[in-house]
Amino acid sequence: MRHSSALGIASRLLSGVALLLVAGALPWLSQRDPAASVLRARYAELDPTPEALASIRTELGLDGGPVVTSLRWWSGVLGGDLGTSWVSGGQIGPGVWDALAVSATLTSLAIVVALVIAAALVTPAALRVLRDRPQRGSGPVGVALTALPEFLLASAFLVVVAVQLRWLPPYGWGGLDTAILPSLALGIPAGGLLGRLLADAVSGVAEERWVNVWRLAGAPRAVILAGTLRRAAAAVVDQLGLVVIGVLGGAVAVEQVFAIPGIGRYLLGAANAQDLPALQAGVLLMALAAGLVGVVTGLARRTLRGGPLPPGALPPPPEPRSDGRAARWTAGAALGLLLLIFAFGLPRDPLALDHPRLAPPSLELPFGADASGRDLLARVAHGTIGTLLPSLGIVLLAIVVGLLLAVLGELSRGPAEIANGTPPILAGVIVAALLGPSVGGAAMAVLWVTWPPLTAHAAALIDEASAAPHVRWLPLSGVSRVEIWGRHVLPATIPALLRHGMLRLPGVALALAALGFLGLGAQPPRPEWGLLLSEGIDYVERAPWTTLAPALALILTSVLAVALAGIRRTRRNHRAEDPLAADRLDAVAPRR
Amino acid sequence: MRLPPTTPTISISRITAEHGQGANARATLAPTSLDIHRGESVAVVGRSGAGKSTLADIVLGLRPPAGGRVSVCGEGWCTPAERPPRRSRHLVQGVPQDPTTAFVPRWTLRQSIERAVRALTGDRDVEPRVRDAAALAQLDPELLDRRPSEVSGGQAQRAAIARALAAGPAVLVADEPTSALDADTALAVSSALLTIARETEIALLLVTHDPELAERCTRTVTLTAPSV
Repeated sequence: MRHSSALGIASRLLSGVALLLVAGALPWLSQRDPAASVLRARYAELDPTPEALASIRTELGLDGGPVVTSLRWWSGVLGGDLGTSWVSGGQIGPGVWDALAVSATLTSLAIVVALVIAAALVTPAALRVLRDRPQRGSGPVGVALTALPEFLLASAFLVVVAVQLRWLPPYGWGGLDTAILPSLALGIPAGGLLGRLLADAVSGVAEERWVNVWRLAGAPRAVILAGTLRRAAAAVVDQLGLVVIGVLGGAVAVEQVFAIPGIGRYLLGAANAQDLPALQAGVLLMALAAGLVGVVTGLARRTLRGGPLPPGALPPPPEPRSDGRAARWTAGAALGLLLLIFAFGLPRDPLALDHPRLAPPSLELPFGADASGRDLLARVAHGTIGTLLPSLGIVLLAIVVGLLLAVLGELSRGPAEIANGTPPILAGVIVAALLGPSVGGAAMAVLWVTWPPLTAHAAALIDEASAAPHVRWLPLSGVSRVEIWGRHVLPATIPALLRHGMLRLPGVALALAALGFLGLGAQPPRPEWGLLLSEGIDYVERAPWTTLAPALALILTSVLAVALAGIRRTRRNHRAEDPLAADRLDAVAPRR
Repeated sequence: MRLPPTTPTISISRITAEHGQGANARATLAPTSLDIHRGESVAVVGRSGAGKSTLADIVLGLRPPAGGRVSVCGEGWCTPAERPPRRSRHLVQGVPQDPTTAFVPRWTLRQSIERAVRALTGDRDVEPRVRDAAALAQLDPELLDRRPSEVSGGQAQRAAIARALAAGPAVLVADEPTSALDADTALAVSSALLTIARETEIALLLVTHDPELAERCTRTVTLTAPSV
C-alpha cells in the first residue's frame, strides 16, 4: 500500500468509538426536547412546568450530558437491558426481539429469491463459457429487474397482485402467503443487481489469459467453468455484502407497505413517536446485522481468494461493456417524458382544491385528482422541483465534501466505511428521529450515503492531477503548495466530478423519494414524489390513478438512473475519468 | 554567486531514499555522496532501478530524502525534515525528461518562464532576463509566444533550459534531458547544456543512459541499486 495504513486503522478505530458514543447518546442529541414529548405521551394531564420537565429528565437519565448518557446506555446493553420505552414505559427487550425475528425471516426469504434470480441471470453467461463463446454484457433482463427500487416494486405488487387481482393478502404477517409478495419485492432488485454483477464478471473472467492456457492444456470444460465461477465470485464478493446491506435497508420500506411487524416498521414507529430508546435498540440490532454481513463477506473473501493478498495482486474485476447507444436512447426517452410532464404540469396549481375528490383522468385532468381534489398532473410536475432540486443540492454538497475528505486521505477511511455500511433509509430514520421529519433531514441522510463514492473518485483524480509532470515541476518555478492545489490540482478534478455527480442525480432523487414515501422527508401538503405515492396508496382500491401518476414519474427516474449507469460504464477512455473505477474503490474506501 | 573555489556549489552527503512507509518501506537509493564545483559537469549513470531519477528529484527538492543532507552554496538545502528554503529556491533548477509535458499546457512558454522568474527572484521587470536566457539556450524568441503543444520537442527542451537559466541558478539538474529527442537534436541540446555549464560556471548534474554524453562531462558517477 502506497499510503500509511496506520492512519487508516486509527481512523477506523476513532470512527468506531465515535459511532458507539453517538449511538448511546442519541436520546441526549435529540433536537426536540425529549422531556417535553415524554411528558405529553405519558402524563397528558400534567402541565409542562420546568419542575415537571426536570424530573422527567432525571427519570430518563438525561441529566448527565452526552457521555454519561451514552455510557449508562451501553452498560445497560452489555448487561442485557435494552432500556425502557419513553412512550409506553415498558421494557424494550421482548418487543424488539420479536420484530427482529420477523425481519430475519423476511430478509432470509428475500435473499433466497435474490440468489435464485442471480443464478438464473448468470446461467446464460456460464453456458457461453462452456461453449467457448464468451460474450460481454448481461443483457436487458438484469437491467429491467434492477430498474425499480423496493418501495416502488412493493407498492406495485400491492396494487396489482393483492388489490386488483386479489391473489394474495395485501398486508399482515401470518402464513407463507403473506410472505410471498414482500420477499419478491425485496429480493428481485437485489437478485437483478447480483446477477448482473456476476454475469458481467463471468464473461470478463472468461476472456482472461489463464482460461485459454487451461483450454490448451486440455482441461475438461467443467473444470474451466468451475474455475471461472470461483474467480468471478471472488471478484463480486465485496459487492455481495453491499447488496445484502441494501436488502436490510429496503426491508424498512417493504415492511411499511405490507404492514409487517418487523424491525424496519418498529424503527419507523419509534422515529415517528420520538421513542429514542426504542430507536436505539432497533439501530443497534440493524448495525449488528450489518456487522455480521461484513464478517461473513470477509470470511467468504478469504476462502475464495485464499487469505489476504497484497494490493494489486489481483487483476481488477472485469468491467462490463454494455451497449452505449441503447442506454443513451433509453436515457433520452425517459428524460424527454419527464420534461413533458414537467412542462405541461408546471403552469397548473398543485395546491388548489378545486376539482372533484378522486376525479378519474380526463382531458381536462390528464392524471386525475387526488383525495383532496388537487390536480395530480400539477402535483407530479411540481414534485419534480420538490424532489430534484434537493437532489441537486445533495450532489453538489457531496462533491464538496468528497473533495475535502479526499484531501484528508486515509483519515476519512473510517467514516467512509461506516457510511458505506449504512442503508440510506436507516440514516433517514435516525435523522428524522433526532430532528423531526423534514426535507433537510432527509437530504442530510442521503448526503451521508452519497459522499463515499465521490470521495474515492476525487482521491483518484487528485492523485492523477498531482502526478502530471507539469504539476510536479511547479515547485521549481517557485509556485507555493497552496497555489498548486488551488490553481492546478483542484480545478483539474472539478469537471470529471461534476459529470460523475450528475450521473448519480436520479439515484439520489429515488433515495430521497423513498424517505418521502416513508414520511421521513417532505411533509404534506408539499408535492414530493415519494409523499404523493404514499398519499395515493390509501385510496388505491377506489382510485388507482392516484398511485399511477407519481409511480410513473418515479419509474421514469429509475429508468434514467439505470440507463445513465450504463452510459457511465461505457465511458472508459480514461481510468480516473471512470466513475466505475471509483465505484470499485467504494468498498476499499478512499486512498491518498 | 562567488564562492571560494574550495567550497563545492552543491554538496550531497549520504543521501538515501525509500519507497513506502513503515514496514513496507523499500530502499530505492543506496547512500550516495557527491560534490560538484562551479563549472563542473557530473554525469550520473547506472542501471534502471539504481535510483538516478530519485537522486535528481531529491536534489531538485521535489521529494524529501530518507536520510542524509544536501547543501547548496554552503547553506542547507534539504534533509529528511527540511524542505528547500523559499528564498534560495532559484539556486537549483532543472531540465525535465519530457519537456512538452513539463510546461502548464494552457500557458504560453513566455508566461511559464515569466511567472517562474517573478516568483523566484521577486523582480518586476523580467523581460531582459527572459530575453537573455532564451539567447543562451539558443531559443528563437518568436517561439516564446506559443504553447508547449505548438513547438517541437527540441524547441520545448530549449525553452525548458531557458526557464531554468532565467532564474539564475547555481546548480542545474538534467534528468535524461535528451531521451525524448531525435539523435541530431539530442546532440545539439546536450552540447548546449555542457557549454552553458562551463561558460556560466553552473554546477551541472546530468542523469543519462548515453555513455558518449557521459564521457563529455567532467566526471562520471555510477550508481548501483540498493541491496534488498
